[in-house]
Amino acid sequence: MTDIIKRDGSRQPFDIQRIIKAVACAMNDAGLRDDDFVASVAESVRHACEEKETVDIYDVQSRVENIMMRSRYKNAARCYIEFRRTRDLERESRNTLNQEILGIINQDNEQILNENANKDAKIIPTQRDLLAGVVARYYARQHILPRNVCEAHDKGDIHFHDLDYSPFFPMFNCMLIDLEGMLSNGFKLGNAEIETPKSILTATAITAQIIAQVSSHIYGGTSINEIDRIHAPYVRKTYDKHLAEGVRWIGEEEKAKAYAMERTEKDCFDAYQALEYEINTLHTANGQTPFVTFGFGLGTSWEERLVQTSILKNRIRGLGKNNKTPVFPKLVFAIRKGVNFSKDDPNYDIKQLALECASKRMYPDILNYDKLVEVTGSFKTPMGCRSFLGAYEENGELIHDGRNNLGVVSLNLPRIALESHGDEQRFWELLEDRLSVAKDALMCRIHRLDNVTASVAPILYVEGACGVRLKPTDKVSHIFKNGRASISLGFIGIHETINALYGNKEDGQHIYDNEQLREKGLAIVQRLRSAVEEWKKETGYGFSLYSTPSESLCDRFCRLDEKEFGVVPGVTDKGYYTNSFHLDVEKKVTPYDKVDFEMEYPHHASGGFICYGEFPNMQHNTQALENVWDYTYDKVPYYGTNTPIDSCYSCGYEGEFDATARGFECPSCKNRDSSKMSVTRRVCGYLGQPNSRPFIKGKQEEVTRRVKHL
Amino acid sequence: MNYHQYYPIDVVNGEGTRCTLFVSGCEHKCVGCHNASTIKPDSGHPYTLELEEQILKDLGDPRIIRNGLSLSGGDPLYPGNLEAVGRLARRVKETYPDKNIWMWTGYVREELTPAQWDVVAYVDVLVDGPYIQAERDITQPWKGSRNQRILRREAGDLSL
Ligand code: SF4
Ligand SMILES: [Zn+2]
Repeated sequence: MTDIIKRDGSRQPFDIQRIIKAVACAMNDAGLRDDDFVASVAESVRHACEEKETVDIYDVQSRVENIMMRSRYKNAARCYIEFRRTRDLERESRNTLNQEILGIINQDNEQILNENANKDAKIIPTQRDLLAGVVARYYARQHILPRNVCEAHDKGDIHFHDLDYSPFFPMFNCMLIDLEGMLSNGFKLGNAEIETPKSILTATAITAQIIAQVSSHIYGGTSINEIDRIHAPYVRKTYDKHLAEGVRWIGEEEKAKAYAMERTEKDCFDAYQALEYEINTLHTANGQTPFVTFGFGLGTSWEERLVQTSILKNRIRGLGKNNKTPVFPKLVFAIRKGVNFSKDDPNYDIKQLALECASKRMYPDILNYDKLVEVTGSFKTPMGCRSFLGAYEENGELIHDGRNNLGVVSLNLPRIALESHGDEQRFWELLEDRLSVAKDALMCRIHRLDNVTASVAPILYVEGACGVRLKPTDKVSHIFKNGRASISLGFIGIHETINALYGNKEDGQHIYDNEQLREKGLAIVQRLRSAVEEWKKETGYGFSLYSTPSESLCDRFCRLDEKEFGVVPGVTDKGYYTNSFHLDVEKKVTPYDKVDFEMEYPHHASGGFICYGEFPNMQHNTQALENVWDYTYDKVPYYGTNTPIDSCYSCGYEGEFDATARGFECPSCKNRDSSKMSVTRRVCGYLGQPNSRPFIKGKQEEVTRRVKHL
Repeated sequence: MNYHQYYPIDVVNGEGTRCTLFVSGCEHKCVGCHNASTIKPDSGHPYTLELEEQILKDLGDPRIIRNGLSLSGGDPLYPGNLEAVGRLARRVKETYPDKNIWMWTGYVREELTPAQWDVVAYVDVLVDGPYIQAERDITQPWKGSRNQRILRREAGDLSL
């Protein structure tokens, strides 16, 4: 009597009926019927097994496969194989589902718990959100994603970002809120009718409400483009109110004006302080502090300048009694010649304030106006941390606010390079295959929104956040067409890709030091760009190329590749892949040279990018920081300053904490108590505070390896 | 004169983006000296005219703007260094009147010799005084101990 060893290791007596049933099923799927054939397959398998004491289930199945493949019923054989693979997949993922749920309950799945540095996995709402994510991911893989896409994602050929939300939920990624439209036309929030605010304090309070609502309905970042321009009218209203009061009580006009100005300045400062607190204490339905970005800097009116300085002064001051560095909102300051670039520009003083702020709080990052227009076609704030929309017009007018990004799917470029074993031709061929899977994946994202009606997210589609006021029963898909929304192909690890393709030789040079390798890197990104251009033409959707930051991704791809290809020097040996086109974080070059190295890439990856420099403490040398900022002006559109801004509540030390195996440590008093310190690092485009919420392993590794560029 | 290090781009020794030269030789021998290896005048490498030309060229780099030259050490005002440092400082000021010179010395302003003043004449910001371990304070920029002073020509601190 033969026993079958099943997948879980248990035994079961050999049962010929099971084979008969499975083969008959496959025949049936292929539209065939031949009972004799079915019986003969089963019989020969039984015959092959009968001598043995135990037989592995896989063995039985491949025997069936082989016999069928040799028969004239090749189609039935294919059905059998397909059926089995689906069953295997299902079984396997049911297993992962259970394990992932257990991981949340037992708090021991580092992958899920620390996937997003912005989520505190210890608290219940986050756990509920993580649980929903696990289920959404499971369901999407089983029932929504095309087979090839799902497989490519599981293997790590591509990464279907944010599977825990989309495509299970008909959500999109990130957006620029049409705050101006919402504030000036009013909107409904729950049961309350919100009218146009009459002061800056109300305007910022309502802004916080809108942000909370919007970020519960999307999974990516929520940005406000030109908040200084949008809030200016409410600063004016505040001033007018104070002026009327001043005239009434003081009489004398000059004095009344001075009074009104002073009161307005105070109100404005308080308003942005409240807004900052509000955002940092918010928890969206997604169980996280919303990813919020404020863009500002171009306005030159008194009101706009006041908004700009209020935001910066609040940030410089910090949060709470320890003046902790706030992580949100991300601040993005626009620099433009004629506005604030040089000494005789009207807002040069605010640029100085921005420099001080960046040296103390890392934010703001800067947008270089002219370069941004050159690269992306028009000026706008990034959505989330680095996603940029292209130019888009309605009735001859450029529109930005209310537009969005539909999501990202990223390519694992180093994997393709590893698979090609240094054969460039092979690399390009494989790349084409991967591109076609990525396109299927992105189309799946798009089509998920096809029949969705406005009622799923009234704040977005009915109340104006997306710049439209649809009826709840209206379909929403048309607002994503014709380039109004973007949909992005992402990529990661140009550095490792070049190493894998060309670096295995003795004289393996660093891409930075070799002009030819630099060109190879660019050529890859150029091909990705031309691919999205083709897709755009073909489908009418705003396909764009995006420089992938995802913090969990730099770890995942590398982990999977190490499993498959082993430890490959310069490729899988670090535990992470380098962010998009960025220069390897371990390469010591000046910030100037780094800018030169990276400056070509945003032109091609115009759907999302950011460049960084690693600086020492610059709090007493903002002039040197300004030199670098000025240098970037006509070279890169978007630049971030990474500088040590850790602080110790025990001894007052400010600078850079040591990252030790036992956690972060104050270099001055050796304090390791994470509640008595503020440690801030750039995680992707955002800041994170790794002392309170650990980064995932690959990211932690990457952060420790960063070298200063000065 | 010998020197220890030359940094063509530096942002941590003085305001702005700088070229920084650490010279050898110092007679103060402060306890806890931050650069003890530079105290011996014959330590490091010989300072050559070639290096001087390089410094002048770097300061004029059209690509990466330098706000000026920083001289540290050791002590740039160590008697054996005065000639070379004086020549460098003079040439920098003659070539780039708009760029500034920062200098760190262990002497105090009140006790500078005429020969040292001849060199200080080219200096815009002088951080003076020895490093005193007991007065260590790294929270203030550009200096190591509280007794040291940041003397600025602009503020009239360096007029005789
Ligand atoms: S003056 Fe400066 S270089 Fe000289 S011993 Fe004192 S600390 Fe060291
Ligand atoms: Zn401390």
